[in-house]
Amino acid sequence: MQQLQNPSSSESTPILKIQAWLVEQIADVLSIDPTTIDVKQPLTRYGLDSIDAVTLVGDLEDWLDLELPSTLLWDYPSIEKASAYMVEEFDVTVD
Amino acid sequence: MTLTQYQLAEKLEQALGNPQQADSLMSFQHTAELDEAEQFPHEEIAWLYNWGLQNYYIPTDCGGKFTSFEEFVAFVRVLARRDLNISIAFTTLFWSFLTWMAGSDEQKEKLSHLMREEHTAMCLAYSEREHGSDLVGGGVTATKVEGGYLLNGEKWPINRATISGVTFVLARTDPEGGNRGLSLFMVEKKDLDTSTYYNLPKIKTHGIRAADMSGIGFSDCFVPDSMLLGQEGHGLELGLKGFQITRALCAAFSQGAADTTMRTTLNFAVNRKLYNKTVIDMPHARRTLSNAFIDMLICDCVNIGAARGFHVATDQFSVWSAVDKYFVPVTLEQVMKDTSVVLGSRFYMRDEHDSGVFQKALRDSAIISMFDGSSVVNLHVLILQRRQLAKARVRIRKKPEKLAVVQDRLEQSFSLSQPVPTFDPTRLELISRGADDVMQGIEGTIAKLEALKKSGDSAVDLLRPDPAKPAQDVLSQVLELAHVIREELDAQDVLITESAFEHGHDQSFESFELAKQYCQLHAAMACILMWIHNRELAEMGDFFAKGEWLVVSLHRLLSHFRMTPLLSSGELPAAYHENVAQELLRLHKADKMFSIVPFQLAQSQQAPPPSTQSSSAQSHPNQPSTQEATSHATAPEPQLI
Repeated sequence: MQQLQNPSSSESTPILKIQAWLVEQIADVLSIDPTTIDVKQPLTRYGLDSIDAVTLVGDLEDWLDLELPSTLLWDYPSIEKASAYMVEEFDVTVD
Repeated sequence: MTLTQYQLAEKLEQALGNPQQADSLMSFQHTAELDEAEQFPHEEIAWLYNWGLQNYYIPTDCGGKFTSFEEFVAFVRVLARRDLNISIAFTTLFWSFLTWMAGSDEQKEKLSHLMREEHTAMCLAYSEREHGSDLVGGGVTATKVEGGYLLNGEKWPINRATISGVTFVLARTDPEGGNRGLSLFMVEKKDLDTSTYYNLPKIKTHGIRAADMSGIGFSDCFVPDSMLLGQEGHGLELGLKGFQITRALCAAFSQGAADTTMRTTLNFAVNRKLYNKTVIDMPHARRTLSNAFIDMLICDCVNIGAARGFHVATDQFSVWSAVDKYFVPVTLEQVMKDTSVVLGSRFYMRDEHDSGVFQKALRDSAIISMFDGSSVVNLHVLILQRRQLAKARVRIRKKPEKLAVVQDRLEQSFSLSQPVPTFDPTRLELISRGADDVMQGIEGTIAKLEALKKSGDSAVDLLRPDPAKPAQDVLSQVLELAHVIREELDAQDVLITESAFEHGHDQSFESFELAKQYCQLHAAMACILMWIHNRELAEMGDFFAKGEWLVVSLHRLLSHFRMTPLLSSGELPAAYHENVAQELLRLHKADKMFSIVPFQLAQSQQAPPPSTQSSSAQSHPNQPSTQEATSHATAPEPQLI
């Protein structure tokens, strides 16, 4: 059971926590306004390239302190799909 | 006695003969003629197949004789020191590792048979004219149809695109699939409808002029399902992992070329007299060459360590192979330029002094830092992982049990007397998750050096010094320099961790400079690890054991980092430089590889004076094996198209 450090101040479910974290990171990576990111859209649509996607998994691993498949964002290429997969597969919870 | 894993390289050397003798199979004269004529080396490659070298590209469980990348890089150096064109043309066989990694049992069996029995060659068709190294952006498509796929589009520039039987093609199978929309195909050309594919003309190049550098195009070309390698959609992942293998092996090409440029320069420097002195006795020339030799030894430590590490720290190769592929070719390109100063204007001549081999090796090797991922691509791979490497190093220092495991792996990676475990390509990972044993092992290695120094302080050693053992001052200097490595790495880690991290392709110039420094620190550690794990190995010899070369190596690498003296004693002792020069001259005189493992090269035979004629397929008097010579004369390469 993984315990997440809350990355934002709002109370939310694990899926929403991960989504918020990914939105924040991807907006930062791609220098775009986070409010323009739709969690249902494929990440490649925003210009996230293959190596960025792998690097971002490394950052996720650091944040969650668990080992993830390095191709996670290739296999689950939207924020919504990746977050759902992680919660389901790794049983991530939030305090 | 030569270490077991270098005996194949020695055997191949003897079979090929001394390249300075014009009548040897791959003599400098003959390969220069092929180069001038831009003529593909069909006969020489056929000879290598008949000799059975392709077996060493096929793992034993797939019917071949490959067991060790250390053995592999040694024999590639033997080929590369003669002619980079032949060695690169033959070594496209290493793309077979894609099949050994991801192929079905049937595909493995088929490729093994093709290579062993039908002498099939292969090429890698990833690049495209409009997309360069942007693999995801590629335009070649594979559209699913009943029983297979239809390929469309062009791949260019591709080495051996025309003269090969198998083409590994990366193509988009799902237009909307993003990074999972690419698939890899092992295409056997003889099974295709010849009206549905075509080759593009030979490209004229600066070096490796005799290469088949061309391209291949497809027009509704049907390939059956059986040619899909791995799962549909996994092409990018396989392709990137395959690069980790081949990038580390590419360094061996540069090593072979640098050996030749050094050897031909020494042929000049030990004989040429100017101002009543031989060139090699002039201080500037002598130091220039001894420094170049040191750089070659550093590259040896990096590349041999990596070749062995492949079997041990396989999941860290996104880091190790990027360091190796950046550091070794770039360092050796500089070695060649430095060495050329001693040879003078002869370095530029195409038909003087050893058949103009210097300029040819220089031209040919210029491509190595470019292919299979350029220096920039490799540094970029490191930059993207650098922050995780820094964080992981902080974490692991708090976990003694994990550090102990790192030390065990390092011993296996660097101790040349230990057998390596079987290479398992399924252990390759796209990112190393912050792991790099070489750098994470720095504290443990310093502890080992300190223990060694302490044990050497005993009165027994002082009373009866062993000439092969490191002197205490050498140990003190290595320790001082090891602390410099740690301090520089610590400083870089802090800088990386605290600074804003850029993703993607917007990396700053400074990030690339930091990545280069990481490579230099990694190389410095590889030198210490190579020495500490092999200094008592009798086969390595006294020069290696004494460790003066190590002090000079570390000093050279670390002098990039600091303006202030690196050693408390001030400058390096002049005797160290002189002993390095003496070793270089000894290896040259004995026809041995300029290496930390100086295995025996083919020596000149007491034969009639070299012929001025080009050697032909039918006359190779330098070959000791009549069986090989006979088979060469009778067996053409059947798979050439």
